[in-house]
Amino acid sequence: MQRIVVDAMGGDHAPEEIVKGAAEASLALPDAELILVGDAEVIGATLPRLRHDGARVRVHHAAQVVEMDEKPGEALAAKPDASILIAAGLVAAGEGDALVSAGNTGASVLACARAWKLIPGVRRAALASVYPTELRRGEKNDPFSLILDVGATIDASAEDLVTFAIMGAAYASLVSRNRRPRVALLSNGTEAGKGPAAVVEAHQLLLEATQLNFIGNVEGLDIPRGVADVIVCNGFVGNVVLKMLEGVSETVVRLARYAHKEKLTWRIGLMALSSALAQLKAVTDWQQYGGAPLLGLEHPFIKAHGRSTAPAITNAIKVAAKASAGDLCGHIGRGLAELSARREGSAP
Amino acid sequence: MTAPRHVFRWDLDKTYLRTEFDSLGDLIKSAIETAADKQAYPGATALLRTLSTTDGYKVCIVSGSPTQMRTVLAAKLALDGVTYDEFVLKDNVRNILRGRFRALRAQIPYKLPALLGSRGGSPPAPAETLFGDDAEADAIVYCLYADLLAGRVDQDTLARILSSARAYDDEAARTLALARQAPKGDVVRRIVIHLDRRSPPLGFRQFGPRLVPVFNYFQAALVLFADGVLDARQLLFVAFEMLDSGQYHLATLANSLQDLMRRNRLGSDTVLRLADEVGAMTTGGLLSARPDLPPFATIARAFTERVRELRGAAPVAWPTDPEPLDYVSLVDHEHDHRRARRRRGHG
Repeated sequence: MQRIVVDAMGGDHAPEEIVKGAAEASLALPDAELILVGDAEVIGATLPRLRHDGARVRVHHAAQVVEMDEKPGEALAAKPDASILIAAGLVAAGEGDALVSAGNTGASVLACARAWKLIPGVRRAALASVYPTELRRGEKNDPFSLILDVGATIDASAEDLVTFAIMGAAYASLVSRNRRPRVALLSNGTEAGKGPAAVVEAHQLLLEATQLNFIGNVEGLDIPRGVADVIVCNGFVGNVVLKMLEGVSETVVRLARYAHKEKLTWRIGLMALSSALAQLKAVTDWQQYGGAPLLGLEHPFIKAHGRSTAPAITNAIKVAAKASAGDLCGHIGRGLAELSARREGSAP
Repeated sequence: MTAPRHVFRWDLDKTYLRTEFDSLGDLIKSAIETAADKQAYPGATALLRTLSTTDGYKVCIVSGSPTQMRTVLAAKLALDGVTYDEFVLKDNVRNILRGRFRALRAQIPYKLPALLGSRGGSPPAPAETLFGDDAEADAIVYCLYADLLAGRVDQDTLARILSSARAYDDEAARTLALARQAPKGDVVRRIVIHLDRRSPPLGFRQFGPRLVPVFNYFQAALVLFADGVLDARQLLFVAFEMLDSGQYHLATLANSLQDLMRRNRLGSDTVLRLADEVGAMTTGGLLSARPDLPPFATIARAFTERVRELRGAAPVAWPTDPEPLDYVSLVDHEHDHRRARRRRGHG
């Protein structure tokens, strides 16, 4: 049985939408136990209003909450009974297998990093995010590629980037059922020598020391095309790229709204495309994907979007259950051990 | 004939037996299933067996299944080792022959007189517990039965309720007569509703604290333990059957216990008393002769842990003195709800 710990108090719509998402997951995942951490009185008053399976939901009281706009370090220090701290602690104590939170990203990552160990061979954890692409991948025909790191490690070394590549490939092969994901480094050119020193060195290491399906460097424009399934970069670049991509998407939507208002012929054109646009919206709906995994720690952590409503939380829980059931962290550990063994074997 | 101490009235489909009858296909499948094919919910068999073998307890089964299924249903109960004192089924062939098609689906006009007839037909017990499910009108029928016996529903009101439930005139007259004759008393101690459809438990709040919606039979056993109907050993008998089914773990049983606490249907003092009793059980004897089941100390610890995790958080407030039920509205609402479900293709 997969035991998924859920920070019930984290997120813009917490706790109601989080509890709703967990309630739905208790019906959808017959082999999972949901451990809701937060104000037991509020959760206890919300659950009986919802369809759920009472045998699969457990409540663990936490008296404090880290708000979305609080400074992570200060908030965790001031609130020892915060739901995210208690939740991460439960997993560390072996009472849960994976964690899901839609709360304050910094506080969530920090709470996990403090409570959990890194997987042997990992120096720094990476936060991964998904982005909708033109090409699809894996047995699930997944329309998302994985980008990591998007903010956990601002300045990554070549070794870190190789580790991120192994972690991203393990995640894609498990969650997207993509047996041999195409891994690429994000750079300012496709040539091996392009980019900063860490990227150039990582390129060489990935080619020589790993058995990943490494396709070389990709440029920013290749991300939405879906040329690669796993795109590796440092947290600074990844965060800038992710925010820019989000900004472009929002601008396109605003332009479409403007066009809809401005001219009748444009409106008719948009109406003619409406079913295709609706399909595109469904495919690219981030709520369907659940959340961003924090990779490199000894337990899976899925960071759901702060604006998550119940369906996104249910999907995040499903991803967490899948990562736990598929032993994602074990896969990453074995991948890194193989890398280490290969490099030791080839050392002069 | 001496009066029993406690009567337990059970529905079968969706309460004891895992039955699907949301579509015509489900109905056909249910009708042609053999006794061995029929599946009871985990823990239900152990609970029924415990109740039927306790001195002074009487088990009466009142099911909406047709009388033609008596052989297969009786065989299923026999296979499960369940004995019973009464077994009432619905005579749907007679309904068809008389052109009473409305009666085929009717719940209240069938079940209420069946319950009243059973109560009036034998020495009355001072206490009754009723088991039903959330798929049909069990909550309404059982509360109405309880209120009739307690004298909270008069004959005029009952006549209006039966009219609203589309009872045929002779059915209504017979039900009114049975209600007059049934030995009275506020005897229905507990109504247990099995949430087969996983309906939100709060939807049953209007029926008052006597009615407890349960997700599984460990919860039913816990309620009966709190009521003093079962002891800790009998409760564990139910729990072990559920663990044996492979569909429950110690954690999910402990979660079930915590769910009842959060809903204010089980006090922490009762849980701690149970944990003490379980923890004090010796390692000898029938219950502990299973190395594949968790030791008593582990069970007791799991139960205590779920109390501790709530850290004294107040449970949901439950109305201790609920408003009298407006049965006519409830019946009308249930009728509309069933019609809407049929239109959507769910039976």
